[in-house]
This record gives sequence, C-alpha cells and structure tokens, in this order.
Amino acid sequence: MTSSKTVQTDIPRHEDIVDERLVRWFFYASLVYMGISMLGGLLMAAQLVHWYPIQNIEFLSAGRWRMIHTNAVAYGFIANAFLGMLHWVVPRLTLHRVASVWLSYFIFFAWQVIVLSTAGGIIFGPAFQSQDWVMEAARNLHISMNLGAQGLEWGETPFWIDPVALLGLALVAFNFLVPISKAKGSLYVTLWYFMAAFVWTFLTYAMGNFLPEYALAGSSAGAVGGLFIHDLVGLFVTPLGWGLMYYLVPIILKKPIWSHGLSLVGFWGLAFFYPLQGIHHFLYTPIPMFLQYGAVISTIAVEFVVATVVINFFGTIWGDSRMAFKNLPIRWFYTGIVYYFITCFQCALQVTLTFQKLIHFTDWVVGHAHLVMFGVFSQWIFGMMTYLIPRLLKKDWYSNRLCEWHYWCSAVGVFVMFLDLTLAGLFQGYYWAALQPWEVGLNGSQPFWITRIFAGLAMFFGFLCFVYNLVMTMRKGESNATATATA
Amino acid sequence: MESKLAKQIRIWITIVAGAFILIFSGLGFGAKFIELIHTFTGESDGVFAITPMVNYLLATMGFFCMLIWATLNGMFNDVEGPKQTMLERDEMLDAK
Repeated sequence: MTSSKTVQTDIPRHEDIVDERLVRWFFYASLVYMGISMLGGLLMAAQLVHWYPIQNIEFLSAGRWRMIHTNAVAYGFIANAFLGMLHWVVPRLTLHRVASVWLSYFIFFAWQVIVLSTAGGIIFGPAFQSQDWVMEAARNLHISMNLGAQGLEWGETPFWIDPVALLGLALVAFNFLVPISKAKGSLYVTLWYFMAAFVWTFLTYAMGNFLPEYALAGSSAGAVGGLFIHDLVGLFVTPLGWGLMYYLVPIILKKPIWSHGLSLVGFWGLAFFYPLQGIHHFLYTPIPMFLQYGAVISTIAVEFVVATVVINFFGTIWGDSRMAFKNLPIRWFYTGIVYYFITCFQCALQVTLTFQKLIHFTDWVVGHAHLVMFGVFSQWIFGMMTYLIPRLLKKDWYSNRLCEWHYWCSAVGVFVMFLDLTLAGLFQGYYWAALQPWEVGLNGSQPFWITRIFAGLAMFFGFLCFVYNLVMTMRKGESNATATATA
Repeated sequence: MESKLAKQIRIWITIVAGAFILIFSGLGFGAKFIELIHTFTGESDGVFAITPMVNYLLATMGFFCMLIWATLNGMFNDVEGPKQTMLERDEMLDAK
C-alpha cells in the first residue's frame, strides 16, 4: 500500500484532475430527463384512472409515455447523474484525470443523442414502420427493421441505436479504466465496484439488445431477457450506486467505512451471485425449472450479500447517528439504504414460487420497482447533488428549506406509493386467484391507482422544489459558501 | 482508536458472513449445476438452456480470474488499509 507520506508528495490539485463543468452538465442533463420521466409516469398513472389529458394523439399515447418514463429514468437520469459523479470520484480516488477530457465531452454529447434518439424512436418509429423503403430494407437485410421500440422491457432502445449505445459504453469504460489502471496500491472498494460496472454494463447491454433481436427466440430469448432486465439494475445501477456510497458516506462522516474486508465480501458476492438471478422474473414459464430454481437460490444468496453491505453502513454511522438527522445528504443516503434493505428483503420473499402465484403481473411488482429505482438510487443521486452542487457552484443552497421539502416529499411520496401498490398487488392477486372477472380487479384497483397519482404528485412537487432551488442558487450572487453539505 | 474487542468483532463478522455466503450459496449452485449437466446430456431439447448459463459462466469466469489476479498481486494483503488511504488522500486534495 502507498504510504501517506508518499501520497502527500504526489498529490495533484483538485482542479487539475476534475473537470467540474462536465460534472455540472451531466447533472443538469440528468435533471431534465428526470422531469420528463416523472411527467411520463404521471401521464401513465392518469390513463389508469381515466384522466388522461392528451386523448386521440397517437404520438402521445399512454403506452409510449410509459416507455419514455422507464427509459428516461434509467438512461437519461441515472446514467447521466452517475457519469457526472464518476467524473468527480474516479479522478479523486485515483489521483489521475480521465483518459481524455475531450472524450468525456464527446461522450456527454453522444449520450444525449442516444437518449433523445431512443425517445424519438419510441414516439415516432411506429409511424414510419409501413413505409416502402423500410419494408424493402427489411427484406434485403433479413432483419425485422423495427423502427420503434424493441419488445423487451428497458431494451426498447430501437435496434438502429443499439450499436451506437454499445460503442458509447465502450468509450465510457475506456475513459475511466485508464485512470483506475494507473492507481497505486491496493484498490479501494469503490474502484472494484466501478471496474465491474463498466464491464457488466457493456456485456449486459449487448446481451439484452442483440441476442433476443438477432440470435435467440422463444424460451431461450425469454431467459436472456429476464437476465437483462434484472442485470441492468443489479450490474449497472447497483455497483455504481454502492461504489458511490462507499466513497461519499465516509467522506461526509469523516470516518472510514466500518469494515473494508466486509465491503469486499459484498462486492465479490455480488459478482458471483447476481448475474444468474434475473430469471426469477419468469417463474412458472417454460424455461427449465433448474434455471428457475437457480435464480431463486441466487436471489436468496444476494440477500446475504445485501445484509453484509447494510451491516457495514450501519456499523459506519454507529456513534454518529445524529448525522442522519442533521446532515441532509447523509439522510438521503441512509433513507435509500433502508429502502434498499426493504426491497431486497421483499425480493427474497417474492422470488419463491408460492409468493409468485399471488403477485405475478400485479402492481406489487410496480411498487417494488419504484422503491428500488426512485426510493434507493434516485434518492442517493439527489443526496449526491445536494452535497456536490454547492461545491460545484461555489455557493450555498438558495434555500435549505426547499432542500428539506424535496427530501420529505420524495421520501414520504415514494414510500406511500410503494405501500399503496404493494397493497394493490395483493388485492389484484386475490381477485385473480378467486377467478373474479377482469373488470372486478380493475374496479378494485381504482382507489389504489388514485392514491398512486397523489403520491406521484408529491414526488413531482418535491422535484420541482429542487429544480427551482437549483435555478435560484445558480442565479444568486457569489457568497462566502462553505461549500459543504447542507447541514 | 478502535478497541481490540471491536476489531475482533469486525473480523469475525466478516469471516462468518463470507463463509455463510460461500457455503450455502455454493451448495445451492453446485446442485443446480449438476442438474444442468443432466438436462443438457439427457434431454434432446436441453441444449437451449445452455445460453443463459454460458452468459453467466463467461461473466463470472472473468471475475474469478480477476479475483485470482488481485490475490496474487497482494491486493488483499492489507485488507483494511485502503479505507484509511482514501480518506487521507481526499482530505489532502481539499487542503491543496
């Protein structure tokens, strides 16, 4: 390991290794996509209670908004925010710049083109589907030439964008793996997570977007699709999210993580047990039972891994628990950690065949997905932004009260939505198990779907508070900012 | 400064958690892997189940190689060291 004396002489200046403008740009882009995604979610929710405001316009139909909602949050909000954070954290951990700052700027613009093209393909693609040139190209090239969404959750990215997106992911991996390879001494756990995420994201994207489209069909494609859906959460979002937590929590608490050894157990556990669990989305399908059982076992194995991670973070804050109330970024992080434990505990239950009988295809799954994607990862990102934006803008927040409103509306809103949809899922499951007519289940779901809208509105209001606060912070004059977390 | 008892508790939790994950999950996976071989060799249409398994094995094989490489290169000789180095470096970066 490099001694601290050696480190002191080699230490570069922060501004020489971190391009703060790039971090800001990624953050701003991510917030734009989050706004679009939340709007899409609200429109879809309105459709379910017959309040859809944009009737009879094919381009703006609810089904397309739903895909915009999921894709904008994964590839627009989370990917952009993580890329911004990576440009801050990787140079600071390795003491080296990214491989090329120009490449970083290229990636920024290329990624926005990819996300916007995905949205364009989803909205406008079907309108061009029956054009003569499309049909002819499909015949000549022997491919489906589906200009709109591909038929796989989160893999809807139209086929003509997939190679570009994959190239973009390869460039991201190259740009960050170069400084990591130059890092001296034993690697901190965050860098292990990041390295894995770069490899996994590339492989996962290729697996989900190319294999079912060109090489596989039937159950085999279904099995790979199951792996893709879950691995996108577990092998792209999770390692980057946890990697950032392992960096930010000790930095803000000003104390090291409780056990670095335990964090490595968590990392290697994730590496070996996560990749197979995606098939738990397809229990009771024609996929061979040994694969389904394998997915169940690996999901339960991951729960042990999650327990080690949660123990580690609570071990770290032990003795400083007041920080979870006093320090807003820490409060965002630990709320996310608690929600993460809830979703993973839920996962261990819902992957059993007995449980699946009841909740399969119900809103339980939707509640689970919102708790993990918004309750955990989006909240972590909001915490990261709450911490970093004053440092990036060199100004304190315009209003700490608006930061608090953002936190409470988001944390309470998503938890109400989660409880509401979990209950809705149980009701729907029992309606269906009792062989009630479909309409009975729909009518019974209405109170839950109405409640969901109000929970979503609360979350959206919190988000608007954050955006307004950010704009006002940018506009206000220079202040003698402490440039630290909102206390 | 961390007390001796606290340090021992931390080490034991790490060892027990690691062993728990490896033994139980390893047993489960081993049993399922044997089933895979039986399906593959005993059923005419069992071959299609190979695709997701090959995906999994390729990914984890890479990580297994990385684990061996990291161990041989002494990455885990001082398991708790990096957590202190990281904090020190970050403080120095802000101080400069």
